[in-house]
Amino acid sequence: MSPSWTDVVEEARLSLQAIADYSENLFNPTLRLGVTGLSRAGKTVFITALIHGLLRGGRFPVFDALATGRIGRASLAPQPDDAVPRFAYEDHVRTLVAERRWPQSTVDVSELRLIIEYQRLNGADRTLTLDIVDYPGEWLLDLPLLWKSYETWSAESLRLSRQQPRAALAAPWHAHLATLRPEAAADEQATLTAARLFTDYLRACRDERFAMSLLPPGRFLMPGSLAGSPALTFAPLDLPGHAMVPDGSLWAMMRRRYEAYKSAVVRPFFRDHFARIDRQIVLVDALAAFNAGPEALRDLQAALIGILDCFRTGRGTLLSALLRPRIDRILFAATKADHLHHSSHDRLEAILRLMVERAATRAEFAGATIDVVALAAIRATRQANVQRGREQLPSIVGTPMEGEIAGGERFDGRSEVATFPGDLPQASEALFTTGDAAAQAFQGLSHGAAEHADYRFLRFRPPPVALEDGEAPSLPHIRLDRALQFLIGDRLQ
Amino acid sequence: MTTPRKPATFKLDDPHVVVLSGEDEAARPARGTVQVRPEPEPALPTVAPDQALAPMRPGLPWGLLFWTSLGGLVLLALGLGVSNLVEDLFNRSQGLGFVGAGFAALFVVALIAIIAREIIGLSRLATIERLHARAADALIGDDRPAAEAIVRELSAIARGNPRLAHARAMLQSHSRDIIDGADLLKLAERELMSPLDAEARRLVSTAAQRVSIVTAVSPRALVDMLFVFAAAARLIRQLARLYGGRPGALGLIKLTRQVIAHLAITGGVAASDSLIQQMLGHGIAAKLSSRLGEGLLNGLLTARLGLATIDVTRPLPFTALPRPALSDLAGDLLRKREQNDESGA
Repeated sequence: MSPSWTDVVEEARLSLQAIADYSENLFNPTLRLGVTGLSRAGKTVFITALIHGLLRGGRFPVFDALATGRIGRASLAPQPDDAVPRFAYEDHVRTLVAERRWPQSTVDVSELRLIIEYQRLNGADRTLTLDIVDYPGEWLLDLPLLWKSYETWSAESLRLSRQQPRAALAAPWHAHLATLRPEAAADEQATLTAARLFTDYLRACRDERFAMSLLPPGRFLMPGSLAGSPALTFAPLDLPGHAMVPDGSLWAMMRRRYEAYKSAVVRPFFRDHFARIDRQIVLVDALAAFNAGPEALRDLQAALIGILDCFRTGRGTLLSALLRPRIDRILFAATKADHLHHSSHDRLEAILRLMVERAATRAEFAGATIDVVALAAIRATRQANVQRGREQLPSIVGTPMEGEIAGGERFDGRSEVATFPGDLPQASEALFTTGDAAAQAFQGLSHGAAEHADYRFLRFRPPPVALEDGEAPSLPHIRLDRALQFLIGDRLQ
Repeated sequence: MTTPRKPATFKLDDPHVVVLSGEDEAARPARGTVQVRPEPEPALPTVAPDQALAPMRPGLPWGLLFWTSLGGLVLLALGLGVSNLVEDLFNRSQGLGFVGAGFAALFVVALIAIIAREIIGLSRLATIERLHARAADALIGDDRPAAEAIVRELSAIARGNPRLAHARAMLQSHSRDIIDGADLLKLAERELMSPLDAEARRLVSTAAQRVSIVTAVSPRALVDMLFVFAAAARLIRQLARLYGGRPGALGLIKLTRQVIAHLAITGGVAASDSLIQQMLGHGIAAKLSSRLGEGLLNGLLTARLGLATIDVTRPLPFTALPRPALSDLAGDLLRKREQNDESGA
C-alpha cells in the first residue's frame, strides 16, 4: 500500500513535534514513560504506586538509584500540556489507603510530571523529568484501526462475532443486521439501532464471565464527550465482495463515519500520547482471561498483537530522536501477580512471554531491549500454605471484594479468606492455537457452571495500611522495583 | 505431569479452618479441618547481603597512564641496553655473542610467560569479583536466570578443586528443581562454600597463632615486622587460591590493596564491637609481659586481615552461612583465657 497524503502529513507533524521535544530535552532531560494496558489491567494503580514509591521513598531494594541513596528528592510538577487533565494522584492514594477500594476505571486521559533530583555515579547533581500519561485502556483497541479500511474492519468484526462464545451474545445484533442491505439508501434510524445493538454486544463481551479483550472500536465502550455524535454512530455491515460503493447508500454513510472516527478520535490520540514515548510498559491481566476460559486468553493475545504492532521500537539514535522517536525499552508485565503464590510466578511469566512472542522478537530485532516480569504494583495479599488432608496447597490470604463469589459463597468484603486459585499450566503453544486442543486446554467460567472452572482468581481489596503522620507509608508491592530499574534505572546512572 | 489441582477457597473465620502462627509446629490436621500457615515474604531477602560502597566512576586513569608509560620506557631502555650488549659481545667474539643472544631470547620468552600468567591471574580475580557483585544483585532481585548462570560459573571454578566434587554433584542434582533465584544461590553457598570456609578459618587461625608466637619470641622489632608482612602476604595468597583465584605478583598487590580498603571500610565497626574488648580484656597479659601483649595484638590484627581477605576473595556474599567473626578466631588464639573467663563469670 502506498502511503496516502494523510499519512505523509501525519509523519511530518510527528517529526516537527519530535524536533521541538529534542531541543527541550537538551536542557532538561525528559523521559516519557508510556503505561499501556487494556482496561482493568491496572494502569492507574501502577502509576499511583510508582509515583507514591518515588515520592515517599518506597521499599525498592532492586531499584539501584533509590537503594543506594542517590535520589535526593522527587517532586510533582505542573505538566507540560495545559489541555490535558492532571492525574489525580492524591485522590487515588486516598481511595486506596483510606477506603481500601481500587480506583474507578479511567474515563479520560490524564497526565502527571515528576521531577527526580539525583546524583550521578560520578558525583554530578542532575534532574530527570518523568512524564507519565494515563488513559482508558479501551482507547488502545482503536490503534490498529488506523491501518484498516472500513471493509476490512467490518469483515473481521463479523467473523469474530460468529465465533463462540461471542455468537450467543451477538444474536440480537445479528438479527438486526440481517434486515439491513448495504446498498440500500442511508437510513439514520436503522444506523442508530445498529450502533446501539453493536455496542450492547461489545459491552456483554466484557463481562467477567467472558472477559473478551478484542472489542474495537474502544470509544463505543467509553464514549466520553463524544456520546451520540455521528462519529460514534456506525456498525459493521455484511458487505458483498465487490468494491463498488453506491453513492448515498448505507454502506457509504457507515464508511464515511468510520473514517471520521479515525481522523477525529484515533489519530489525535496516537499523535499526542503514543508516538512520543521513550520507554514503554505493557500491563497485561492474564488472570482474568484464565478465569473466563481459553477463548478469552486467545482473544487477549490477538488484541495485544494488534496493539503492539503500533509501537515504534528500535534503538534510539540521534537521527531517530530528531525525526522519529522510538521506544528503546519495553517491559511486558503480567499484573496482579499477588493473586498467585510466588511459586507460580515463573509460569505466569512464561505464558506472557509466549503471548507477546511475536512483538517481542520484532522489537528485539529492531534493537530495543525487552523484559518480561510478573508484578503487583500494590500487593493485596499475603502468602500461606494450606494443608487439607494430605494435600498441600500454596495459597494466598486476603480480603476479597464485596460481591465476589467462589465455591458457591458470596463474600461481604470484610472477612479474610485463604484461596488456592488453581495450578497454572505450563506455557505451551496449545494454549494459543485454535481448534479442539485449545478448547480442551482448561475450563473457564464462559463454559457454564462455576464448579467446573479450573481457575478462580478472586479480586481482593487493597491491603490495610497504617498511616504514618497522617500520610500513607510505602505500599507493599511485588517486583515493582525491578520494573522501575529496567524502565528508568539506566537514565539515573 | 500430575493432574492440575482444582481451585479452593477457605474462609478464615470458618470453625473448620485453623490458622497457625509462625511458631506452631505442623500437626496432622484433624479430619475435616484445614490448616493455614502464613509464609514469610519471599520477595524480600531474609538477610540483607553486604553492600560494598558504590564505586565512583573514574575520570581519566592518570595513575594507570603514568605506570604504563613508565613501564614502556623502562622496557625500551632495557631492550636497547641488551641489544647493545649483544652487539658488543659479538664484536668481542662470535661464541660469546651467541651465548648472549641465547640468554636474551630466553629472557624474552620467560618475560612473556610471566606476563601471560599475571594477566590470567588478574582476569581470574576480576571474574571472581564480578561473580560476587552479580550474586549480591541476584540475591536482592531474586533473579532466577542470573542465579543459574552464577551457579554454573561457580561450578566451573570449583572444578579445579577436587575436594568439592561431592558438593558439585549435589548441586547438579538440584538443578532441575524449581528453586527461586535467591534460594538457589543460598543452596550453592551452603554446598560449595562451607568446606572452603572451614579451611579458610583454619588457615587464618594458624597464621594468626604463628604471628603471635613469633612476635612474642623474636629478638628484634625488625625481624617480627618482616615476618608479619611475609605471613600476611602468604595468607592472602593462600585464601585467594582456596576460593578459586590464582594471583601472581600483580594480583597479590591488587588483592592486598582491596583487602586494606575493605579493612578501612569495616575497621571502624569491628573495632567498636570486638577488637577493643579483646585488647582491653587482655591488658593483663600486656602488663605481665609487653612482648606477650604485642604478640597477641599482632595475632589479632593478622586474623582481622584474614577475615577481610575472605570477604574480598569469596565468590559469593555471606547470606546462608554465618560470616566468621573475629571472636571465633580469637577463641582459637586465646582459648585458655576465654575458658577461664567464662568459668569465672
